[in-house]
Amino acid sequence: MNRFLFVFTGLIISLTAQDDMLELIDDGTINPVPVQATFKATRIVNSQSIELTRPKTLEFMILHRFGSMNNGFYDLFGMDEAAIRFDLKYGINDRISLGAGRSSLNKTYDIFTKLKLLKQTSGGSSFPFSLALFSKMEISTIDQDLSMSDQLTFDIQVLTARKFNPSISVQVMPTFIHRNLVQTANESHDLLSFGIGGRVKVTRRVSINTDTFFPLGERNESFKQSWGLGCDIETGGHVFQLMITNVQGSFESNYIENATGTFDELNLFLGFNITRVFSL
Amino acid sequence: MIWRIIFLALMVPLFGKDIYFTRSGTISFFSSTPIEDIKAINEQTTCVLDIETGDVSFRIPIRGFIFKNGLMQEHFNENYLESDRYPNASFTGSIEGWKDITLSEKLQPVPLKGTMNIHGISKDISESGNILMKGNRVIGSATFKITVADYEIEIPKILRDNIAKVVDVTVDISLKKK
Repeated sequence: MNRFLFVFTGLIISLTAQDDMLELIDDGTINPVPVQATFKATRIVNSQSIELTRPKTLEFMILHRFGSMNNGFYDLFGMDEAAIRFDLKYGINDRISLGAGRSSLNKTYDIFTKLKLLKQTSGGSSFPFSLALFSKMEISTIDQDLSMSDQLTFDIQVLTARKFNPSISVQVMPTFIHRNLVQTANESHDLLSFGIGGRVKVTRRVSINTDTFFPLGERNESFKQSWGLGCDIETGGHVFQLMITNVQGSFESNYIENATGTFDELNLFLGFNITRVFSL
Repeated sequence: MIWRIIFLALMVPLFGKDIYFTRSGTISFFSSTPIEDIKAINEQTTCVLDIETGDVSFRIPIRGFIFKNGLMQEHFNENYLESDRYPNASFTGSIEGWKDITLSEKLQPVPLKGTMNIHGISKDISESGNILMKGNRVIGSATFKITVADYEIEIPKILRDNIAKVVDVTVDISLKKK
């Protein structure tokens, strides 16, 4: 009987002894961690992405769109012309960034802010998506005769994004634009649209991105739905974004509401964005 | 008799291994090149030491490495260590000649041997560390070098001058009894 007892106890001991010592102290809690790098840059193609300028860094971005490609080799697919925008953004913390920019199209100045309200997390009690609020005020100074208030346009976007896996991210962005001045009486001052964008990573440093904005409500006959198709190339402190799009402006009220390009006669625009980040 | 069996079964957990552990060990690495120095600190390292056998295990969550530069931290996770696929680095091994070592307040060098796993690649390593006992805590430390290429961590050509091929790793742990 004693021998039996000895074997039995030995069996129990060997069953409870674990191979991995780390399991001995696991208490089952996994801390949720914020999901990083839903997109590589603060823009998807034309549209804003969920990403903010990182805390205590200054981000300088050049958004360059060539002219229409429809003249072919005569002006090397639009390379002779350009609409350029540059902006400077600062990350106050991981939830607030502020910026200002200028676009050559309509000589538009703007100030904007992006606020991250919710963060997607993984592990433990994970949260499924990130949410940010983007708001902007634009001042179009091309017509000097207009009063200040007539030059203003306001944009508000709710950016909602989810990184499904390391390579695929999708973002939806309900957008509201208010123009203080419209061209004709039957145009609305307030415009609603629904944007969708996403990316697929093809290598660790290159991704293919796309975005488009579906209009909600009435638009006039000349309206075209804007879209962009591009690729991100990351090289250390830079992100290059190359794209083809049907809109030349790269500020919100323009690229959402004033697309002009069509596939007919290749009336599209090539362009690029360059981001450079400075740690302060 | 049945009570004796139950009693023995209940005793089993108490017979369990005599271990010391921490969940907040510090591991840092330092990459130095003429162009720039890069440093990251991880204070979420889990370490377990079996005080009877000298077996030791480390688990280092890759996302726990904090860089001064957020962009570097993102690239470290996204491009180099691929923390989505390989969330933890680990070391499983033992302190050699443990039977002959008596822990005291005096710092003594000990040889460590085992398997390091980083970026999904396992390598057998032997390094030396230091160990001492202070109060009821076992305090360990080690510094050693890791060759980045050994763990198939690719550095693009354009950044080869910025990131060292061999990085210095520093380990500091303070273990308490379980």
